[in-house]
Amino acid sequence: MHHTSSPFVPRGAAALLLALLPALAWSQATPTPNRIDGFGTPNTTAPSPPNPSNHGETELNILTSYYSQDGNRGAVEGGIGTQQLTDLTPTIILNVPLDSATRLSANLGLDYYSSASTDRIDQVNSSPSSSDTRIHLDLGLARQLADKRTIVGVGAGFSAEYDYLSFNVSGSWARASADGNRELSVAGQVFLDQVTVIRPVELRNTPDPTGGTTRQSYNLNIVYSQVLSQRLQVAVSTELVAQRGLLSTPFHRVYFRETGGAYGTAKTELLPRQRLKYPVGLRLNYYATDLVQLRGYYRFYNDNFGITAHTFELETPVKVTPFFVLYPFYRYHTQTAADYFAPYLAHSVTDEYYTSDYDLADFSANKFGLGLRYSPVYGIGRFKTPFKGRVAKFKALDIRYAYYRQSTGLTANLISADLSFTLP
Amino acid sequence: MTLPNFARLALGGLLLAGGSGLSSCVSVAAYQKVYLNDEDMKLSNKRIEVYETNFQSYREGAGGANGGKVGGGCGCN
Repeated sequence: MHHTSSPFVPRGAAALLLALLPALAWSQATPTPNRIDGFGTPNTTAPSPPNPSNHGETELNILTSYYSQDGNRGAVEGGIGTQQLTDLTPTIILNVPLDSATRLSANLGLDYYSSASTDRIDQVNSSPSSSDTRIHLDLGLARQLADKRTIVGVGAGFSAEYDYLSFNVSGSWARASADGNRELSVAGQVFLDQVTVIRPVELRNTPDPTGGTTRQSYNLNIVYSQVLSQRLQVAVSTELVAQRGLLSTPFHRVYFRETGGAYGTAKTELLPRQRLKYPVGLRLNYYATDLVQLRGYYRFYNDNFGITAHTFELETPVKVTPFFVLYPFYRYHTQTAADYFAPYLAHSVTDEYYTSDYDLADFSANKFGLGLRYSPVYGIGRFKTPFKGRVAKFKALDIRYAYYRQSTGLTANLISADLSFTLP
Repeated sequence: MTLPNFARLALGGLLLAGGSGLSSCVSVAAYQKVYLNDEDMKLSNKRIEVYETNFQSYREGAGGANGGKVGGGCGCN
């Protein structure tokens, strides 16, 4: 869902995906600690990464979602344009035990989106910039060491869309205490990105102030988890990020109060070329009763763009039966504006940096929704696969709907599903 | 920027629960972890939440420390 890029489907990438599918489907999987959104290393925010030797089964997850948003603060038109956008995202995750201590994971997915906002880059409706497809593939390898308490992992992947190409490498280390009540995990990732600069059509003959077309991101993720009692456990995490390079979106317009909003008077958004982020999260889970559990999360965020944010989430799974769970959830987010943000016509031409992207504005947001999970002990069903007649198990189904609303007027709906299968 | 009252109450409850838990922190043996091993007690986002985490990382200038994207690999913030 690269909401800021443009044009068409990369057919070569789609063909590659189709060619890879059978091979990936052939391989095997276990539970999926890898970060689904594009990092091959185990998810270090999950304490107790699954023991690679625990699962002789292949696990395959098919995930998909449909996202729709609307609003009238689009940055492509300087903070007053449409934000209408839809996004469809099929994803396949595989986890393959290679031996008793090693696990290979693969994460392959597509983002197909259509955007009325990016359609305004060239001021012609239904132009090629109205839709795009992103493809991403990430591979990870995790190995449990001889002490049975330490897991190390490496990963690599790429993401490609019309105007954005990204490669990443990652490494992780996690170690549990002897009694399994504490765990520390550390993961690092490096992203090397290449941007194809596409500017608003009327500005393409003016000097480009952004300079450079690359972006490097360095992430360090540290998680410490602790069992507090038989019913309560906590995790504290931080994810330090340093970015440098092109952090502006070249087709975002900014209109200035001195020059007005006439056609051709805008400039391309300009942001500093370095950004440091410091989020800290606290997660607390409480097994209140056999019927209800409480899952709480709080995050404090700060960065050198001047944004300070608080995020709070609460989810209350209700076990209707031991295998059927309903889980309502609520999330509240509030943030201050970046130092470089101002609305339409509010910037001065003397400003060093400027953006009218409401993602960087001062706002609050509420999200709520409902999920359901059905996971009977012996699975939902079984079927024979084309692979040597092996019988696969449809293990579990998870469906979730969320409604999101910002104080900027942006609203969004998202429905997603996760189908879990295993192969012997 | 101030948190609304209900969010303050909820956050306070979260911290209070954590505090009470810390005061009663004990070594829990493997055979006593039947509750902690429950699917809904995992200390991470559910796999299915990734799409929400992703769109939030695009639509909100603040992100990270929750398993989602925080920079790189996309045009998001």
